[in-house]
Amino acid sequence: MANIRDVAKKAGVSVATVSRVLNRASNVSPKTADAVLAAMQELHFTPNGLARGLALNRTRTIALLIPNIVNPLYPEMAKGVEDVAHQKGYNVLLCNTEEDIAKERDYLTMLIERRVDGLILMSTLLTNDNLLQIREYNIPFVLTGRYRQDLEADIVYTDYAYGSYLAVHHLLEVGYQRIAHISGSAIQWESQEKLSGFKKALREAQLTVEAKYIVEGDNEIEGGYLGTMRLLHLSEKPQAIFAANDLMAIGAIDAVKAQGLRVPSDVAVAGFDDIRMSALVEPKLTTVSHPVHKMGLIAARLLFDHIDGGAGEDATQKILLQPKLMVRKSCGHENRLREIFN
Amino acid sequence: MRGETYMDLAVDFMGLKLKNPIMVAAGPLTATGEMLRQAVEAGAGAVVTKTIVNEIRPKVRPRLAALGEGMQNIELYTEFSLEAWEHEIRYAKSHGAVIIANILAHTPSEMADIALRVEKFGADAIELGVACPHGEGLEGLFADPAQLYSFTKSVVQRVNIPVMVKLSPNVTNMAKMAMSAEQAGASAVSAIDTVRAIIGVDLESGRPLLSTYGGYSGPPVRPIGLAAVALISQAAKIPVCGIGGISNSHHVLEYMMLGASTVQLCTSLILNGLDSLSKIIHDLETWLMQHNVADFGQIRGKALQSLKSFEEIKVEPYVAKALQGCSDLSCNLCVRGCIYKAVHKSKFKVTVDQNLCTGCGLCLSVCPDKAFVLEWK
Repeated sequence: MANIRDVAKKAGVSVATVSRVLNRASNVSPKTADAVLAAMQELHFTPNGLARGLALNRTRTIALLIPNIVNPLYPEMAKGVEDVAHQKGYNVLLCNTEEDIAKERDYLTMLIERRVDGLILMSTLLTNDNLLQIREYNIPFVLTGRYRQDLEADIVYTDYAYGSYLAVHHLLEVGYQRIAHISGSAIQWESQEKLSGFKKALREAQLTVEAKYIVEGDNEIEGGYLGTMRLLHLSEKPQAIFAANDLMAIGAIDAVKAQGLRVPSDVAVAGFDDIRMSALVEPKLTTVSHPVHKMGLIAARLLFDHIDGGAGEDATQKILLQPKLMVRKSCGHENRLREIFN
Repeated sequence: MRGETYMDLAVDFMGLKLKNPIMVAAGPLTATGEMLRQAVEAGAGAVVTKTIVNEIRPKVRPRLAALGEGMQNIELYTEFSLEAWEHEIRYAKSHGAVIIANILAHTPSEMADIALRVEKFGADAIELGVACPHGEGLEGLFADPAQLYSFTKSVVQRVNIPVMVKLSPNVTNMAKMAMSAEQAGASAVSAIDTVRAIIGVDLESGRPLLSTYGGYSGPPVRPIGLAAVALISQAAKIPVCGIGGISNSHHVLEYMMLGASTVQLCTSLILNGLDSLSKIIHDLETWLMQHNVADFGQIRGKALQSLKSFEEIKVEPYVAKALQGCSDLSCNLCVRGCIYKAVHKSKFKVTVDQNLCTGCGLCLSVCPDKAFVLEWK
């Protein structure tokens, strides 16, 4: 198998020049670069990734930590990260933390040992102190999901309270008054935020927030199904259910149907996330878009600013991506124009 | 031939030195580095990229429809990633293009981030593409001057290159929007973006020609663009880039006399070809020479001085008069168009009953021979 010396000899240049071509350095003339590339092709030369990694102190690998690989939301985010990483010539390691802080810490240790070049953490349960420890290993990281005011770090976040407020406000506008909420796991900060948005919309409409209309789900279809069953067995069942994510909303629709009732005429349902499936279920789900694909793109771009050393003076950035209400059929509205202009 | 009529059309716009004031607007003609290069080689003074975004949106088909002189589009932004735009911008720059990067994001922090990136790619200026009438909700990205202010401010604070804000005609008070952009530190505003429209309905199928509401452009929107540029010029001090229905040098000069410093073209170049740019530039040179105008500064805003309040318009006793006979027996536009039944035509002879005429002036503009004048009764 040809090595870098063979390529240099064939192209009539030094080993250092071949190395500069491999690293896409700008101080090589196009003519020389062409000659080197032609020699590589002729000799079927491929650079040794491990050797290159050692020489450049790079593994050309970044890691993405997500809370739940089964929720179709997070692959969308992974796609955003991968879209950018691929163009940069990097691999992405995907780690599924399952909302388990111990598992997340384990992954972090493994990733640091593997010398990944950067980390993107979605909805991390790690504390600020945990996160600051990563800096000691000189590994840049970007957080996504929730906002942290007290941490100097790159964060791409969305406003979960506002998004939930939009959904509940919409249900109120359609005309429902008894609105229930199936919340996400209490351990998640996002769940608390969504609950606060739900309460804010009700209070603004001068409605009482009743504990019996708030049930905790588990962010899975089953949690939405069981939560809805509980709500439907109340003596005064809710007119509408706002689920903290689309999977639970899909479970809620299933439960309503299982009780021989119809969505939205008997019980309206709204979700959060806008996963692709939400536009395909029957009835199509009214939801709040959680811009995770864009989050993945921007997080990866910020991460590569650090990896490539181009972050500049604005060392950290906190970028807000606004959630947006997507009006479809499950909420029972009659405003077609609103739907067209989603 | 061009050497004989050569005038210096160069303008200084937001601190950019442009060889002429004509730009190719953000849209289908500025989608790639190669297209930007072609636009510059066709003579454009600057090029505005197709809207650059973080997240590419799917390209629907069909998305363009022309009817009569107008065009509707339902296009949504670039097909290239931000990473790819780095190459496209560098390529066009290496061919001498002055590049204004049109960018769009949904929060001030996201907008500032994209702005910073396109600045690093080498863009000479930024245009905030915040005025598209489709794809961004019923009220567009925002209907509120305060939001426009915060988006603009966050970008202006982050970049060192000039920032221009593109304004929508689909609002009730464009002057307020322009003032918000100015207060936020924008170096210029451009107007107008397309007008929300449905270009037509196919009666046989009972369907609109394109499958959703879109943006209307081309000659029919020019009067809307002219009024917008005049309004903005009278409300704000920053320079204005006029957009809407420009297809010849006459239109460019109209926009300038109403206050524009530069202009952007798109639809006419799509329908007539990029080659038409060189004729527009040549005709501009000729006009300036024939009228002994050394630079555009001498005519900029000239027509604004004649815009009056109703109170200032004196009610003078004007009535129409036919100056000459009519050479076209078949033409009856003046008679049919007279609301007051004051115009009469007998073979070649045209007369106006000045007792019936109220001086509305319509006959002056409908007559192809320009046979009418207004005179004091």
